Amino acid sequence: MDFVPIMSTLKRHKTAAALIALEIALSCAIVANAVFVIRERLDRMSQPSGIVVTELIQIELEGIGRAGSEPSTRDEDMAALRAIPGVRSVAATNQVPYGMSSWNTSVNLEPDQMQPILNGASFYGSEDLLETLGLRLVSGRGLEPDEYQQYEALVERGAEGAVPSVVITASMAGRLFPDGDAVGRTVYVWSDQPTRIVGVVEHLQRPGDYFGPSDREYSMLLPVTAPMEYGDRYVLRVDPERREEILAGAVDALLEIEPDRIVSEESTTTIEQLREEFFQQDRAMAWLLVAVCVALLAVTAAGIVGLASFWVQQRSRQIGVRRAVGATRGQILRYFQTENFLLATIGIVLGMALAYAINALLMERYELARLPWQFLPIGAVTVWLLGQLAVLGPALRASAVPPAVATRSV
Amino acid sequence: MLHMQNISKVYRTELVETHALRNFDIHVREGEFLAVTGPSGSGKTTFLNIAGLLEEITSGTYRLDGEEVQSLNDNQRSRLRNEKIGFIFQGFNLIPDLNLFDNVDVPLRYRRMPAAERRRRIETALERVGLASRMRHYPAELSGGQQQRAAIARALAGEPRLLLADEPTGNLDSQMAREVLELLEDINAQGATIVMVTHDQELAARAQRNVHIVDGQPSDLELGPVPLVRPAAELRQV
Repeated sequence: MDFVPIMSTLKRHKTAAALIALEIALSCAIVANAVFVIRERLDRMSQPSGIVVTELIQIELEGIGRAGSEPSTRDEDMAALRAIPGVRSVAATNQVPYGMSSWNTSVNLEPDQMQPILNGASFYGSEDLLETLGLRLVSGRGLEPDEYQQYEALVERGAEGAVPSVVITASMAGRLFPDGDAVGRTVYVWSDQPTRIVGVVEHLQRPGDYFGPSDREYSMLLPVTAPMEYGDRYVLRVDPERREEILAGAVDALLEIEPDRIVSEESTTTIEQLREEFFQQDRAMAWLLVAVCVALLAVTAAGIVGLASFWVQQRSRQIGVRRAVGATRGQILRYFQTENFLLATIGIVLGMALAYAINALLMERYELARLPWQFLPIGAVTVWLLGQLAVLGPALRASAVPPAVATRSV
Repeated sequence: MLHMQNISKVYRTELVETHALRNFDIHVREGEFLAVTGPSGSGKTTFLNIAGLLEEITSGTYRLDGEEVQSLNDNQRSRLRNEKIGFIFQGFNLIPDLNLFDNVDVPLRYRRMPAAERRRRIETALERVGLASRMRHYPAELSGGQQQRAAIARALAGEPRLLLADEPTGNLDSQMAREVLELLEDINAQGATIVMVTHDQELAARAQRNVHIVDGQPSDLELGPVPLVRPAAELRQV
């Protein structure tokens, strides 16, 4: 191809060529980093929660005054909720994935351990919780009804209080016992009394967003009732098509049992809605970066179109001469495309170095991960394609310059 | 070599229709050195553009080196220009961003010739016009006469059968004009057919044959007012 004469021509137009190459470099660097951040956000949003998001609704009743929060009322509440048509399962719980409040505890392998192995989210509630959330048990068993204890009674017993069994996530099991099966092993999650792991579920995302990605699924289900002090929270597994209708009916049913309770409007919603809100910032960031990329690429494309149009206009006579001495339209088209390809390549090489520099800055300031090298070809191909697309119009105009231009007097 | 019969060329705009050539007949034999003269706007350049396949005819028949060209598509015309025709322009039309070597290389690259063969031809052509020592110079670093010689080298490198020159000495002083003309005569003596458009009667007088164009029609073919058919050897002594 005509690399040598084109490079020779570009050397004679250093300033314009350098400016456009720098613009391309900047676009390439920013696009590579932006695509990486977008990918990270999308990855975060696509992580499994372990629960049947589209089948769940949550009802939260504030604990003010505690009226209607006696255990007997909770049983009555759950019986009333189970009676609503379309409800498949009901459980009480202290928290749900995608909720913003969370209960967490240290997990140790020895009593009196100074440094906990990890910090995990503790799900309390009722015996139907595992089934209602739709968790998949991968080994062992779930929690039995006779294992459940009142939270308040346990707290009252202080150091003597013991929780005999726990179901943990596979992620937590892998962290605690990387060498083998966790079922049957002992952990210390409640005072200094041992707790036996009886089952492992595939996934259960912990609530809130306070821990890093590696701790995202450090969750466990304990056979402890939800604390009454903080009100009642029920999670219902229902027919997905009837979620809104059941939600309204369930609130009415609960208020009929005890009218003085305060229903938290914010938290009484579908889990899908909670999920939407949970990832709102991630979505906003992803869209913002998409907009930045589009704007940046548009400006770069406009720069390429502008420079290429100027060069076509400036060189229309020499294009005519090239046509006169035998260049086909296709060869003129390819000349400008090759020229753009070379400029883009120079820009991409600079852009890759710049991409790592920007990434290093983001790593230092915002704890972003290292940019994987695979994102550089994405930036490069994007910029190459953009360049070729942007130069196509001016290049087609160039190829349409008639050869007779060569003999026209200036 | 070049045979035009009943050629007409009409330029049309929304308001005006201009007949640049009408009922134009001409036959140029292989090895001839033909000068085409005529007043401004007579159709000289249109004739040259059509002869060089830079423009298409409106009607008529044009055969170049035995091949009918009016039915060729744009790519075929480009290929024919590249292989059979060399152009020399009044304004030299060298590419300012390329040195002489790369300028002469331009038509050869379009022919997809191997690099070694291109290099041989470029060096030979620049040697022939006396610019072998300037092949890394850019056009702006040369005089007008040198630029025109470089343009001739570009035309020669493709070893064309037909050389079309459009006022080749129009931008040169008399000394340089003489040098360029001698070069063209020398090239003609080696067998190339040359068609030169000029308004310079003195220059035209040195060609073997004159054609005068007025209002888009040629006259005085072969028996023109100043017919000059002299042996090439004699021409070189002038």
